[in-house]
Amino acid sequence: MDSSVLRQLRKIAGQEAVLDRPEDLMLYEYDAGVDKSRPGAVVFPQNTEQVSRIMRLAHEKKVPVVPRGAGTGLSGGAIARKEAIVLSLARMNRILELDIPNQRAVVQPGVVNLELSNAAAPLGFYYAPDPSSQKACTIGGNVAENSGGPHTLALGVTVNHVTGVEVVLPDGRVVEFGGKAQDSCGLDLTGFFVGSEGTLGIATRITVRLTRLPESVATLLAIFNNVQDAANTVVAITQSGITPSALEMIEGWLLQAIEAAVHAGYPLDAGAVLLIELEGMKEAVEEQAEAVQLACLNQKAREVRRAKSEQERQLLWLGRKTAFGAIGRINSSYYTQDGVIPRTKIPSTLAEIARIGEKYSLKIGNVFHAGDGNLHPLILFDGRDPRGRETSRLAAKEIMNYCMSVGGSITGEHGVGMEKMNLMPLMFNEDDLNVMMRLRNAFNPESILNPQKMLPETHMCREITAPLPKAKVEPVPELHL
Amino acid sequence: MSTVTESGAIERELASVAGEAWVSTGDSEAFEINGIRPAWTVAPGSAEEVAAILRIANERDLVVAPAGGSTKQQVGGIPERIDILLRLERLNQIAHYDPGDLTIGVEAGIRFSEMQRALTEHQQWIPLDAPFSSAASKPKAATIGGLLATASFGPLKSGFGGLRDFCIGLQFVTADGKIAKGGGRVVKNVAGYDLMKLMIGSFGSLAIITKANFKVFPAPRQTCTFVCSFPSLPEALKFRDAILKSPLTPICLEIISPQASEYLCNPPTPRNPDDYAPSQPVGQPPSTWYIALRATGSDNVLGRFRRELGEQVARELEGGDEAQYWSWVAHFEYSILERHRNALVVYTHVSIQNGGPAIQALEKVAPDYNFVPAMVGRGATGNLVMGFIPLAVGPPSAMEYANCASAFRSLLPAGSSAIVRHCPKEAKRHFDVWGSSPSDLTMMQAVKTAIDPKKILNRGRFIV
Repeated sequence: MDSSVLRQLRKIAGQEAVLDRPEDLMLYEYDAGVDKSRPGAVVFPQNTEQVSRIMRLAHEKKVPVVPRGAGTGLSGGAIARKEAIVLSLARMNRILELDIPNQRAVVQPGVVNLELSNAAAPLGFYYAPDPSSQKACTIGGNVAENSGGPHTLALGVTVNHVTGVEVVLPDGRVVEFGGKAQDSCGLDLTGFFVGSEGTLGIATRITVRLTRLPESVATLLAIFNNVQDAANTVVAITQSGITPSALEMIEGWLLQAIEAAVHAGYPLDAGAVLLIELEGMKEAVEEQAEAVQLACLNQKAREVRRAKSEQERQLLWLGRKTAFGAIGRINSSYYTQDGVIPRTKIPSTLAEIARIGEKYSLKIGNVFHAGDGNLHPLILFDGRDPRGRETSRLAAKEIMNYCMSVGGSITGEHGVGMEKMNLMPLMFNEDDLNVMMRLRNAFNPESILNPQKMLPETHMCREITAPLPKAKVEPVPELHL
Repeated sequence: MSTVTESGAIERELASVAGEAWVSTGDSEAFEINGIRPAWTVAPGSAEEVAAILRIANERDLVVAPAGGSTKQQVGGIPERIDILLRLERLNQIAHYDPGDLTIGVEAGIRFSEMQRALTEHQQWIPLDAPFSSAASKPKAATIGGLLATASFGPLKSGFGGLRDFCIGLQFVTADGKIAKGGGRVVKNVAGYDLMKLMIGSFGSLAIITKANFKVFPAPRQTCTFVCSFPSLPEALKFRDAILKSPLTPICLEIISPQASEYLCNPPTPRNPDDYAPSQPVGQPPSTWYIALRATGSDNVLGRFRRELGEQVARELEGGDEAQYWSWVAHFEYSILERHRNALVVYTHVSIQNGGPAIQALEKVAPDYNFVPAMVGRGATGNLVMGFIPLAVGPPSAMEYANCASAFRSLLPAGSSAIVRHCPKEAKRHFDVWGSSPSDLTMMQAVKTAIDPKKILNRGRFIV
């Protein structure tokens, strides 16, 4: 990293707020996904003005900047290629306002998702989107990725809960989109910004909706002898006219791994379980819980249990939310996908994933948001064996191709980032990507901010950016594992 | 368009794309938009034909205005000019409907009511009750494309959100004639930019929507409406706040001002002036405020509402009466316009707690400019529909509309939007119907320039 840039970064953010020693930078070379790359420096601004000045500096010196929250992303969105500055929002972590009468909170981007809900809970409210990483991930990162979570089935993903953002543009300008009102006059730039993966600007203040805590919650654990029965139950529940607040599936052998790690109380001999939650007015919850129980038993559930206490409920969810960590205990390397399929295709897709696993002799586990068809197949491989890497990559690609063949998407909540950039053409043709590229250039014309993410740099796209000075272009890697 | 020859050439080109039968010189009153008539109307039969027409327009710098059911065509500024009115009525098919997946895909020109009817057959629906979206509103009927372009909504927005929350994919044609898409067919999807958010509510200024995919919902099996009455606005607002904090989850929560009730009924039949008797005692304007709550659920759930609301409930509505009532609420602004062609109607977008100050601003400003105030609005979202009804004696001048709108806007708390939806077109020359936005205007313009650099789409009509 250019020493004059480092000097100026220190001048803006403070001596202690810039890292550039290799041993410090190592901590910022990865996220929770599979890609790795060491940045040139990390800077920790403490307010909007500093973010703006850093962007002005970067803009002037043509140094790429990658915004970063907690680094829990799974698609490489927060990873910077070398010579880029990682702009960490970790120190902008204050809840600025809990405005209960307006059902809004105003937060800085570095506020941790769960901490916002914890702060609002004594007032009877919470922040609804709940990614599995909610104990660590930040609202800013959630905004960038349009994060989901188990409870987004009924209540929607991040974009349904953000009403305003203050944004620092790549050239350092500070602009506002939206505010506390549900919507406003003109183009919905707030909605467009959410999920833009840090390629349009940096959110420095975020206004979110707070949701009233439900009066009543019922958490059911339906136990099945095999995956197909569980998959059929998902379809049956979806069609029954009941929208659970969460509907999650965990495959049998993963239950054993989870039990070994956290003792959530899952059965060890089941083929699959569904974790189903219903919430709302107590009368409605009781009726729906009965109807769901009946639907499960009609689809050959072996048993349907209901959490008898908040503690039991929390344990069931702990198991679900730490599933990936539990796998880490039994296998050093795994790779998770984020494909989405129409819900009626869950049974056939799970059968296809099993077939693909057998074909490549890979163990693949399914723990996913069944209610909205968002798969997270976990492909286990031996990280020390290069062939394992290669075959798991092939298996992942085959799964993704199948998702696309049934009308699905390459990502439901993890984002495209670095990891799935080269899969974008599976979903979007040149004209689609061209529109996206033109819009990105309206905000980020020189690709200073989060370069080479989300949009594949095809021949066509280079042509569009050609007249503009560009950040250093490196060859786009193949789908990494 | 400078010469007759050029004009003939354009018409021939359009005919070669869409077929002669679908091209006409549009110089008829029926297609007038705020007094401006299109030179041609074209009704293409496919997205490819839409693209070919836009290529012609873009090359020749012809201004294009898309048209669906034309139910909200007069909303917005006065067009600079309209060369081609592009009618989407022939793109009216359901492309796919998968009841098991709870998703549907339709072409932009389909009537919303027709799509809803298909969903109803499977006990499903899209919870949208925007004006002209129900089957009852024939012959005028809103299309999907038009509803999306105008981000239309009705009272159900309180409980379910709006089109931006239901639309999962869009196909559109850009000004340079490229067919593109955003999103997809599945209910959860973060691949690429969320182009749906950009297109919804862009009033046809960014691209022409040709197809849309939605997630759909199980239709409620039964509903019930509780109309509660209050002697004053503060008491009504206090009740609203209590509901918002309670465990009750109504699907509609509508605040209704005293004078609005007059428009929540069928239009009065013209009276014989010789046999005239006023329906209410003259000199006692209505003063009761209402909050209408609509609930859905089992008998138990509805019973809980009944118990908790208790004595506040003035009227309970079910079945046909209930449906009729909500259709009146949804069509409130048009009931006003049917009776008072020159009314000023404003949509405000405010935070929940700024609903009160916005309503007070209406009540204060309207009489100052010789208007009668009437309002219905979504109490849980701050989407208020405000009518300024001109008095029959001493109607306001064009300038007074502008002054009234500006006086009203100046009383709104910061962060609010107030869009003038309807007013006489003569008045539109004197002020900006869109008003200011809390969102950055330069970035809106940058977005417009990025995908319609020649500004051929709806020039002069929208904020960008």
